[in-house]
Amino acid sequence: MTTLPTADTALSGTLPARRRAPIVRLLRAEIRWIFRRPRTLVVLGLLAALPVITGVAVNLTVDPGASAPPGPGPIGPGGEAPIFVTMATSAFVLPLGSLMTLLILMLPLTVAMAGGDALAGEQSTGALRGWLLAPVARGRLLVVKSVGVLAVALVASALVVTSGLVTGLVLAGTDGLVSMSGTELSVGDVLWRLAFAIAWSTVYLMGVGAVALAISASTEHPMLVVVSVLGGLIVSQVLLQFSALDWLHPYLLPTSVNSLVDLIRDPVSFDGLAEGAVRALCYLVIGMSLAYARLTTKDG
Amino acid sequence: MTTARAEVAVPEAENASGTALAARTRGLRKVYRGTVAVDGVDLEVPEGAVVGMLGPNGSGKTTTIRMLLGLVQPTEGEIELLGVPVPGAADRVLPHVGALVEGPGFHPFLSGRENLLRFAAAEPLLARGELDGAVSTALERVGLTAAARRKYRAYSLGMKQRLGLASALLAPRRLVVLDEPTNGLDPAGTQEVRRIIEELHANGVTVLVSSHLLAEVEATCTHVVVLNEGVVVAQGALDDLLESGSPTLLVSTPDGARAVEVLRDQRIPARLAPDGVRVDVATTPPARVIETLVRSGIGVDEARRERTGLEEAFARLTHDVGEVVGDVAGELDADEPEVAR
Repeated sequence: MTTLPTADTALSGTLPARRRAPIVRLLRAEIRWIFRRPRTLVVLGLLAALPVITGVAVNLTVDPGASAPPGPGPIGPGGEAPIFVTMATSAFVLPLGSLMTLLILMLPLTVAMAGGDALAGEQSTGALRGWLLAPVARGRLLVVKSVGVLAVALVASALVVTSGLVTGLVLAGTDGLVSMSGTELSVGDVLWRLAFAIAWSTVYLMGVGAVALAISASTEHPMLVVVSVLGGLIVSQVLLQFSALDWLHPYLLPTSVNSLVDLIRDPVSFDGLAEGAVRALCYLVIGMSLAYARLTTKDG
Repeated sequence: MTTARAEVAVPEAENASGTALAARTRGLRKVYRGTVAVDGVDLEVPEGAVVGMLGPNGSGKTTTIRMLLGLVQPTEGEIELLGVPVPGAADRVLPHVGALVEGPGFHPFLSGRENLLRFAAAEPLLARGELDGAVSTALERVGLTAAARRKYRAYSLGMKQRLGLASALLAPRRLVVLDEPTNGLDPAGTQEVRRIIEELHANGVTVLVSSHLLAEVEATCTHVVVLNEGVVVAQGALDDLLESGSPTLLVSTPDGARAVEVLRDQRIPARLAPDGVRVDVATTPPARVIETLVRSGIGVDEARRERTGLEEAFARLTHDVGEVVGDVAGELDADEPEVAR
């Protein structure tokens, strides 16, 4: 027992000017916590496995003699080939297709889970109090938590795309890197499109994540956050089925997902992607504002 | 590490007797959805004191502590912590305040050490290079070094409580606030908490500890605040509080019945007690009581002033205000059966 906490000798009279823990330190602690969580790792593992499973399954059903790599020939002209058939042979479409499929439910739920754990989960274990008392100002806390959710969105998207890309390369090599419009794409061309897809997916998922954080700031039950986001996604997708509600569709976040298809076209049409990104950013701003308002006024 | 108390003295907040205050509240009030949890609390925590906060369950102890620490916005009233208004300037004062509130809160899938490292990262007073050392020291102080690498999930209730205590001691503190620190601890653990509080006290750190274990408070605290139904019913130095009850003299005598008779003849209030008589000495000096007895030929084996136990004082204080004594007695019975009633 050599060092004991004693009254800080540097203090005299008034307390010193405010001191804060460096935000980088908080971010590192947050990221480490997120990626140490068994739940996060299980879900990320699942996300990485799905493109592999899809690729192998489709490859086996469509082309039992996969040893002979098919050339670009079998791909139908004008993007008529069904996307699942094309997937089997392409290191380009498999990652994009997987991303689009998983963006419907799995990826948003992953991000919702991260958002739920970020505030509601920490609140329910009482661990949030530790940081509030340190103290971490609530605005800074929200920044740190948002960056954590962003990290999950980015890592999950990148994992799906990378897993799809590697699976595609293993199954078909660099053959079949063909756009939906029928033009052949260089490896570099494919890579930037995939990188763009990751970035776009991250922005989209942050729209979901911000809403999740807003709910997370209002409850102590992380499951409630996931369930609410799931409910919201299902309702949105049901509403998207009704053409009578056309006027409503631009306001629904899942409307954006389909624009990812534009990345398979040549040349890429960015209109839909930009609109989707802006829509996600609107959700982001609204979600973050609500989360901030709730977090700064709530009792800790 | 030197402790220069003179340099630390805070001149901002002082009470009537001129003592510096580590914490002070004025007219503190908190209403939760129409229910008044805390009302008109004027709390004074002198610098360097160990203040025990007592009260039955639901008396507003935790709510008051949460408001002190800026976790909860008071409905009305002012709070000053180390001379700084809270929650307004909480970010300036909280680095110097260690707290264990409402039980330990940690992540089950991280080890005790990793949990503390996560908290240490947010401590403004710890430089980057000091984090590891601070965590190790805190773990050592609460006796968790051996279990530091085990998952929090696998900790016993007592170990969890100790880890919570360690998190309050991560950085150099001027005020340490402990809400029910001995919950779930075995007698050895309780002893250790007592030792830690004494160490903090010896180092000039102010300690505010809430508890419903009266023996615990009586053993460790210099000052006491008693809350009942959200209102402060008594506060001050522990000794003053104990003296405030009606003073009694306990006289051991083989002839108790006759002693009572003799004393009552002299208009000295007395009643029979096991092994003797209990005499009220509020108006009669003890010397006269002995004299009266001896002159009447009653043998006195032993006579001693009976200090009002904290438990008695507590029961009296909480009884005067409300109808909670029954609850308190039940609670004390459940928590501390060894306390003689």
